[in-house]
Amino acid sequence: MRILIKLAWRNLFRNHRRTLIMLSAITVGVWAMIFMTAMTQGMVTQMIHDGISVIPGHAQARNPQYGDDPTVNNLLPVPDSEIAGRLEGGGFSSWTTRLSVPAVISSERESRGVTLLGIDPEREADFTFVEIDTIDGRYLESVSDEGVLVGAKLLETLKTKVGNRIVLMSQTPDNDIADRGFRIVGVFSAKVELWEETWVLTGKETLQTMLGVPDQVTQAIVFGDNYRQVDAVSDSLRKAFDDTVSVQRWTELDRYLGTMLEVMDGFTLVWVVVIFLALSFGLVNTLVMAVFERVREIGLMLALGMRPSSILGQIVIESMLLLAIGLALGNVLAWLSVKAFPDGIDISIVAKGMEMMGASSILMLDLRLQDVVLANSVVLILGFLASLSPAWRASRYDPIEAIHKVD
Amino acid sequence: MEITLRLAWRNLWRQPRRTWLTIGAMVFSNVLLVFMISLQFSVYDLMINNSLRAFSGHMQVQAPGYIDDGSMRQTVAEIVPLASELRSDFPDVDIAARATGFVLASSEQRSYGIAVYGVEPAFEPGASSIPGLVTDGRFVESGDEVIIGVVLARNLRVSVGDELTMLGSGRDGSFAAAVLTIVGIFDSGIPDLDRSIAEIPLATFQDVFYMRGSGHHIAINAPSIDAVADYQQRIGAVLPDDLELHDWTALQPGLKQAITADIGSSFFAYAILVILVAFSVLNTGLMSVLERTREFGILMALGIAPGRLGRLVLLETALMGVIGILLGAFLGGLLTGYFGATGFVMPGMEEMAVRFNLPARLYPGISVATLFAGPIVVFLVSILATLYPAFRLNRLQPVEAMRAA
Amino acid sequence: MSAVRCIDVCKTYRQGDEDIHALDHVSIEIQNGGFVCLSAPSGGGKTTLLNAIGGLDVPDSGEIYIDEQRIDNLSKGELAALRLSKIGFVFQAFNLIPVLSARENVEFVMQVQGVDADKRRSLAMSILDEVGLAGMEERRPAEMSGGQQQRVAVARAIVSRPALVLADEPTANLDSKTSDELMELFTELNMNHGTTFVIATHDRRVMSYAKRLIKMLDGRIVDDIAQS
Repeated sequence: MRILIKLAWRNLFRNHRRTLIMLSAITVGVWAMIFMTAMTQGMVTQMIHDGISVIPGHAQARNPQYGDDPTVNNLLPVPDSEIAGRLEGGGFSSWTTRLSVPAVISSERESRGVTLLGIDPEREADFTFVEIDTIDGRYLESVSDEGVLVGAKLLETLKTKVGNRIVLMSQTPDNDIADRGFRIVGVFSAKVELWEETWVLTGKETLQTMLGVPDQVTQAIVFGDNYRQVDAVSDSLRKAFDDTVSVQRWTELDRYLGTMLEVMDGFTLVWVVVIFLALSFGLVNTLVMAVFERVREIGLMLALGMRPSSILGQIVIESMLLLAIGLALGNVLAWLSVKAFPDGIDISIVAKGMEMMGASSILMLDLRLQDVVLANSVVLILGFLASLSPAWRASRYDPIEAIHKVD
Repeated sequence: MEITLRLAWRNLWRQPRRTWLTIGAMVFSNVLLVFMISLQFSVYDLMINNSLRAFSGHMQVQAPGYIDDGSMRQTVAEIVPLASELRSDFPDVDIAARATGFVLASSEQRSYGIAVYGVEPAFEPGASSIPGLVTDGRFVESGDEVIIGVVLARNLRVSVGDELTMLGSGRDGSFAAAVLTIVGIFDSGIPDLDRSIAEIPLATFQDVFYMRGSGHHIAINAPSIDAVADYQQRIGAVLPDDLELHDWTALQPGLKQAITADIGSSFFAYAILVILVAFSVLNTGLMSVLERTREFGILMALGIAPGRLGRLVLLETALMGVIGILLGAFLGGLLTGYFGATGFVMPGMEEMAVRFNLPARLYPGISVATLFAGPIVVFLVSILATLYPAFRLNRLQPVEAMRAA
Repeated sequence: MSAVRCIDVCKTYRQGDEDIHALDHVSIEIQNGGFVCLSAPSGGGKTTLLNAIGGLDVPDSGEIYIDEQRIDNLSKGELAALRLSKIGFVFQAFNLIPVLSARENVEFVMQVQGVDADKRRSLAMSILDEVGLAGMEERRPAEMSGGQQQRVAVARAIVSRPALVLADEPTANLDSKTSDELMELFTELNMNHGTTFVIATHDRRVMSYAKRLIKMLDGRIVDDIAQS
């Protein structure tokens, strides 16, 4: 076996130019497999992270009727101390409750449709908006804060400024129009401009009072540790409410993002296999050539009594060595290129387009071990299979014919 | 020429397996490129057409600054006469005037904030697909009539014949209110439209919102997307100076940029594919030159210049490239044609389709450009990759080359 | 007028630690219509001299004239053009393009010379006939014997009627009967067309055909004999 490896190694560098070209091809291929995967995974991870941190959370508990009729008529009581206790001990990394209603916001000059969120500022501070924004003015101070936070884009559209008053109108459970004036106390900016146009935040109790729905909320939102594993989180949430609520995972709340997650995992595999196939023509070609040049030599080895299986082994080992070196270089190169963009790649030139896809304009790279393992195993396994055919042919030569072959 | 061509052709088949493997790499990429590019550009066309036909149109005439601010006060004065004047100047173009406001729409049970559009009942069907998508009832004609999207109707718990109250602000900031009768419900399949817009006759809108004959934009549809630039110039030339004409890339920058971003990322993938083919070709070219060192040495001794031998090697690659183009375009065309007939579905596409105004099943179309663009790039890059082995021949010394095994 | 003139030509190779004087102040003159054999043991400098005359190798010093045109200071491209138009080469066996037939091998050089297709074809056919290969025009090298292959090489060398034909061990891979036939062909061409032949060989049989025999040893001319 050791002699086979030594033979394979030396043969590999007999035609160093060809080996170097093939090595470059494998390196570029492996680099592209991993780097492109890091880009798409980074984009999806971030889309999901941004997407679910803004609205759905990892899972939500809502009034069972809310799904069919998403209005203030179908709310959830604010968790009592017993439920709150279970939420605290439910293994969530954080949780909160929100009152969320469609509303029309009007400044002195303009009106727009928005979603008005009554939040618990202290609880929200753990995640969501604080993560996506920087705030001019101040953040909300308590559940009874009577100020509102609006997005920078909305502020511009409404042609108003911090400190000015705006009017918010929404519907009460009796379908009366509740309206009241608010003072804008702060402006947030978000990664996606659409969010700046859509969300208006105020204190939860302030909004409850305005709509006449004391102690009621639209949903309870929880976060677990990993957005890919939300089953335990949603079970735990359901138990906390004694099965009186309907619980939805983020993948159900935002089917687009949920699908993206699955599609992208599939896409990674397809991409890796396609690149490998493109490489495989060159790989098989290199092996066929290597065997072709050495027909006489292989004949001699067979004549000297080397077993055909050793010839086969030698060619396969040669191919695996080539792939292993290419993989090593490709992996290192991919790792270095990912490290070269610690702050992500700025693609704000197509920001609006990325927004349409739900992605931000800074593309963060996400190099995941499982993707690297996938790429490497695909190359090694398929590479092994691809080298069998030329190796098999080499081991089948008739020694006498092979020795006398002239080219 | 014929002998050189014959020579190149026969040289290829001295190593048939190597030649087929190299052509195989080209064909593999070409088939993928043909299919992917065809699919991609069919999708872009659909995205553009569906998005623009639905509502915004190819171009819009607006007041300066309206595109950025969208303010109620940035109006186009005497919009109906202006639209009809444009209509008589450009009879083959669909033109419709509109006005927009944001209101709180209330039924007996529910209220939602929506956008309401005042439209010209006679001309709107040419400018937008919404009038044709009224699945229940009919499009507005005049007076206090309104149509709304199917999702909004469900949310408001209303149906045709019910009343809808709208509360908002008029052009001068004063209170605007109207009670309208729902005459139709449309289902565009675009959630944003179905959830959040209502259309009423423009004249009614102008009354309710104190518009005094003005509106906010004139939507214009050229006969085809390709003719937009031409019409933009011609229509722009006759417009009053105080108005702006924007094309769809300005009206829906997200659409254009989403396409750009998608082209960017997919072209990165294509480039990698093409580079891998180039390595394959480079390897083959180099091998074929090295194993013929002696032969080339003799030809050089006979007085044949290295450049001519280099061209021979390039010709050999070109022949492989031509086979690659033909087979690639043929098989790629066959694959695309198959999916063009049966439709192409990908897991997860339904959800994405909704987001980008696409049907859930795609029918990729073939054009000469999508059929040959990829293969021709592969061909050119292959030639490029062969330049190195071809130029190496210049370094060949006939005396040494003839001594080579 | 002389076909070839060398004046004080030197060429030194370095092999390992040693300088090999492949050509050591060589001066010769070969008249038009000459039929000259260069003979030397292996490494005696005959191939180097032949290559220098053919412009394949550039001497370190000295002057070389072909048809009274100085060639040792020409560029690679000018040398290639010179070989193409004025010099025919015949090498050891296996020097045809394997994928081209006998006729195509001959035509290929003419094509490069810019001869038009019809003329090329008729010239190739008549020259192959002249070297005794009538009927074998469409065979590929692998389908011909060594002697036949060399005849194709000769046909290729003389088809453009060069003034000078250089042959390096043309019989090295041929049996004695075929060698004789090839040498008779050379003699015939020399007499009929007045083509100058310079043949490097260490085959005594070949030397016997020469009108002039130049013997070399260690890069120097040691003997220059006229033969009848």
